[in-house]
Amino acid sequence: MRLLHLVNGGEDLGRSRWFWIGFAAVILALVALPLYQTEFEASNASYYLLNIPLALGLSMLWGYCGILSFGQVAYFGIAGYAYGVIAGNLTETSWGPLVGSVGGLLLCAAVGAIFGYFVFFGRVQGWIVPILTLVFTLLLETFLGQTAGYQWRIGAVQLGGYNGMTGIPPFQIGNFIFQGYAFYFFALSLTVAVYFISRILMNAHFGKIMIAIREDVLRTETLGYDVRFYQLGVFVLAAMLAGLSGLLYVQWGNYITPSQVGLLPAALPVIWVAVGGRNRLLAVAIATYLLNWINYTLSEAGNQYAPVIMGALLLLVMLFFPRGIIVAIAELRWPWRRDVTPVSVQDRSA
Amino acid sequence: MATQIPKELETQAESGQAVERRTVVQGIGAAVAATALPKFGVMTRSTALAAESGPVKIGFIEDYSGNLSVYGLQKLHAAQLAIKEINEGKTLKGGPVGAGGLGAEANFAGKPPTIGIQGTGLPVVNDGGPKDHKDVVFAEDEDVLIDSGDKGILGREVQLIAPDGQSNNALWQQLARRLIQQDKVDVLVAGFASAEREAIRPIVDRAKQLYFYTNQYEGGVADANTFCTGPVCEQQVIPGVSYMVEKFGPRGYTIAADYNFGQLTAAWTRAFAPLVGGEIIGEEFIPLSVSEFSTVIARIQQAKPDWVMTLLVGQNQHNYYPQAAAAGLRLPMVSTVNMAQGYEHRRFKPPSLAGMHNAIQYQMEVPTNRNRAFVKRWMAMFPNDQYIGEMAQNTYFTIHLYAKAVRLAGTTDQQQVKKALESGWTIEAPEGAVFLEPGTHHCAHYIRLAVCDENHNVSFPRSWPMIQAWWLQRLGVNLIRHPEYKQYVPDEDPYFAMFLKNKSKKT
Amino acid sequence: MDTLGLLASILYQFGTNAAFLLLAAIGLVVILGMMNIINLAHGELMMMGAYIATIVTHRGIPFPLAVLLAFLLVAMFGAALERVIIRRFYGHELGALVVTWGISLIMGQGTLLFFGPFMPSIGIPGGSFSLGAYSFATYWIVLIGVSAILIAALWWIYQNTRFGLMARATMQKAAMAEALGVNTDRVYMLTFALGSGLAGACGALLAPTVSISPLMGQQFVAPAFITVVVGGAANVLLGAIGSSLLLSAVKTPVGLLFGAFIGTVALLLTALIIIRLMPNGVSFYLQRFTERRVGA
Repeated sequence: MRLLHLVNGGEDLGRSRWFWIGFAAVILALVALPLYQTEFEASNASYYLLNIPLALGLSMLWGYCGILSFGQVAYFGIAGYAYGVIAGNLTETSWGPLVGSVGGLLLCAAVGAIFGYFVFFGRVQGWIVPILTLVFTLLLETFLGQTAGYQWRIGAVQLGGYNGMTGIPPFQIGNFIFQGYAFYFFALSLTVAVYFISRILMNAHFGKIMIAIREDVLRTETLGYDVRFYQLGVFVLAAMLAGLSGLLYVQWGNYITPSQVGLLPAALPVIWVAVGGRNRLLAVAIATYLLNWINYTLSEAGNQYAPVIMGALLLLVMLFFPRGIIVAIAELRWPWRRDVTPVSVQDRSA
Repeated sequence: MATQIPKELETQAESGQAVERRTVVQGIGAAVAATALPKFGVMTRSTALAAESGPVKIGFIEDYSGNLSVYGLQKLHAAQLAIKEINEGKTLKGGPVGAGGLGAEANFAGKPPTIGIQGTGLPVVNDGGPKDHKDVVFAEDEDVLIDSGDKGILGREVQLIAPDGQSNNALWQQLARRLIQQDKVDVLVAGFASAEREAIRPIVDRAKQLYFYTNQYEGGVADANTFCTGPVCEQQVIPGVSYMVEKFGPRGYTIAADYNFGQLTAAWTRAFAPLVGGEIIGEEFIPLSVSEFSTVIARIQQAKPDWVMTLLVGQNQHNYYPQAAAAGLRLPMVSTVNMAQGYEHRRFKPPSLAGMHNAIQYQMEVPTNRNRAFVKRWMAMFPNDQYIGEMAQNTYFTIHLYAKAVRLAGTTDQQQVKKALESGWTIEAPEGAVFLEPGTHHCAHYIRLAVCDENHNVSFPRSWPMIQAWWLQRLGVNLIRHPEYKQYVPDEDPYFAMFLKNKSKKT
Repeated sequence: MDTLGLLASILYQFGTNAAFLLLAAIGLVVILGMMNIINLAHGELMMMGAYIATIVTHRGIPFPLAVLLAFLLVAMFGAALERVIIRRFYGHELGALVVTWGISLIMGQGTLLFFGPFMPSIGIPGGSFSLGAYSFATYWIVLIGVSAILIAALWWIYQNTRFGLMARATMQKAAMAEALGVNTDRVYMLTFALGSGLAGACGALLAPTVSISPLMGQQFVAPAFITVVVGGAANVLLGAIGSSLLLSAVKTPVGLLFGAFIGTVALLLTALIIIRLMPNGVSFYLQRFTERRVGA
């Protein structure tokens, strides 16, 4: 009951009955996707979905807690590579992929904790954090890019340098291998679960502290909260969510390259989150799905304008809907709507 | 034949890949090139259903935006030109000749350099001049584009489906899946960077998709579904290094991009320099992000080599050439990538690239009749293009080769076409005769040494009419008997360790 | 002779490495350091300067004039950008960061669509001279001097002109400056224009040494940000000088001994460590040091 109450808290879009009916309808439509889409289209949809945990993590980090990270893809990459190495070495057993997934997430948490310790317990200024995280991910890219040689072999798996790690095993439980539609359902259920957990977390006490930190670090501190500890906590959480996306990515494509942690992939999540509306989880999830879909559709048509269109979209959204386009749409005064969703705390971190 | 499906013809005419109406095609081709905004025919799903009827679909992924677009756009134009010619009933000379070599079908472009010969010190005479054994005799060859007697392939139109990879590996995977699963393309021609090839190869293998990789690369791909039509290390490194040792002295210094291609090509250089009497006295691997080279230049000056092997890749690393020239570093350079791919000699102000040597397989300046004709056809279709590089030429002859193989197989069934391709083909490409070795799926190429002078004019003082891609053969790869799906690296070859030991004895 | 040459070579590399960092950073020093706008389009502004300089030099205009033209045109472009977009994001650092990234995407791919993937570059002016086994480019020596002059000029503008005074007042407390009759709106615009123009001029100055392509700006972004961040905000100009010298002092010997890869890694690691140890940047300590000296 308490959980239900938290799900319906004020820190995300949609609390009315009609909203939940609509939400259920969308989930139902996604579940029924195999009925009206080919396996290939489902595989594409899995790709759009698997980016959502990363975006939700960034949303909590940036939108709720006010820490912008440009380096979420670093954890995406770390988890992907760790999974590749562990699962690739445990090919004889059926539980290799499971161990690899857990190992990847734990490694993400560990690296995130060490990096976060340096940043937050060093009291680095807020605007330097995005630059630091960016440098970290570029360092990782440079390192991984030169691991082409034979000496960069961990057990039976080669890191593969710039060409990337190939032949990463798909996810598997027992003898059931998640591929095609099965993988789609796997990604969908994980994404939905992550969304609900995030939503509950942000509506709980933890979320309130996040918002307090975003609004005023000093005041939160004088209220007796160890701000650094909470910042570290949300940073590690976001790192693990990015890691989850990384895991799903390598399980989907069976392949990862260092360019996955490069400059452009590093900036893309920031766009998804900003365009959706960074302090509304649902808006971020929707924007992530749609923007990935748009980008794919543009490039499929061989359209050179794709980066220009994405850039212009970003520009227009930031100019005219600074709180995010999905949020702006959601908060329109629809004629059938009696009450306007109360906005909890005005976000001034921008 | 094509007129049986007039509706499709119209959509294709709109998309700039029309078949019958040549004037329309040329007009649109020019317009496309002029605006540099090609709109590619994207097929609807209904057309994908009919197998063995309707158009022959060539799936083609390259990067038209992002970092690698300079190469991707060239390759796209090459594919469009080849498809236009096939649909007009043209083909390149050549045919199946069996395993081993060029065979009876080949008349490789025999004409050695005539233009830009200044400064090479080699006397050249034509057929009418005095002949002695030191001189090079040449005869002008004729054009290699002939009538195929077949409009399109087996009477079916050829259609290009060319989405944009945006220099983004994840997107490449999605697009490869779409072309294979959704559009059910008859052949896939794709890939510039090795990373892109490795990204899509697992997908290709799962679907047993016939796949051509047309780029020059580090070598070693042994994959029963993949045909590599570009040159590999052994075809370029050994001739290039042997020429440098002979002309400038034994001591070489390698600077290479710090990733797979650079590291592996550097390994080849290190291993094979001793065999041709040279040695590598220093090696440096440079991250792709480095764009300022004063330290690298100083280290080279410290080592005092006779020549420098430059395996630099990407726009940042290209800055090395003007910076080295300005710093007064005038050592002769040898490479396997420069000029032929990124046309640095056209982009940088002379004399940045003076003294650059590259054992190339093709570049736009190759002074043969057939190549001049090819360049002319290209420029008629894309008058605004700046350059035609080696991977563009590879794409061009690869698509023609595919058309010929389908005609031999009598079907577009991919397994049949693969078998047909494995009958040992010679095709007369603009570079000269190319032989597709059946067992390894790699090509023997006509290799020329391109030299860039002070004014960035290119000459070709030496040529090797056929160099095999022999390394996979030596490893015992035979994809017909033993299909494999992997990429070999030099560390796996004991032969290499032997060469390296050889080197340590000498030094 | 050879030790002399080696010594000169090390000094020259130290100078070029530092000058490269400084030139990459100068425009950003003004925009990020003074206005607190995290300008991710910085690289594209430099690219624009390089394109302008390259195009007009190909038309026969002398190179120094081309650099000046690049400064003026990019400064005008920057002013327009500030009026239309940037001014909505003062005080919203992260919003500005996202929006400037959008601008950089549009400028980069737009240039690719408009000018094609490459443009023939202009030759490096001046020749080279040698000392022992080593030879040096005259142009880089000039660039070292020019970067010193640029930073000195910037220093002078901010310390000794009326605009500098108003700008410093605005940056410290905009509301107070406004109350005292400073047109802060104009100051912001002029500062952004100055930063953009400097980025353009530096792009033009570096243009002969790099390949001219639409995405060339990206190579400057990481060095520029690292230089400014390591420099810190206490005194941005002093910080930029200090950090570029410091980073070059790390990169040059390490790169010379262990090669370019280790040199690059060392540079990035140094940046991380400095930020951890001196969260206020190099300039904070430099300033304290100079103040103590002055006070004593």
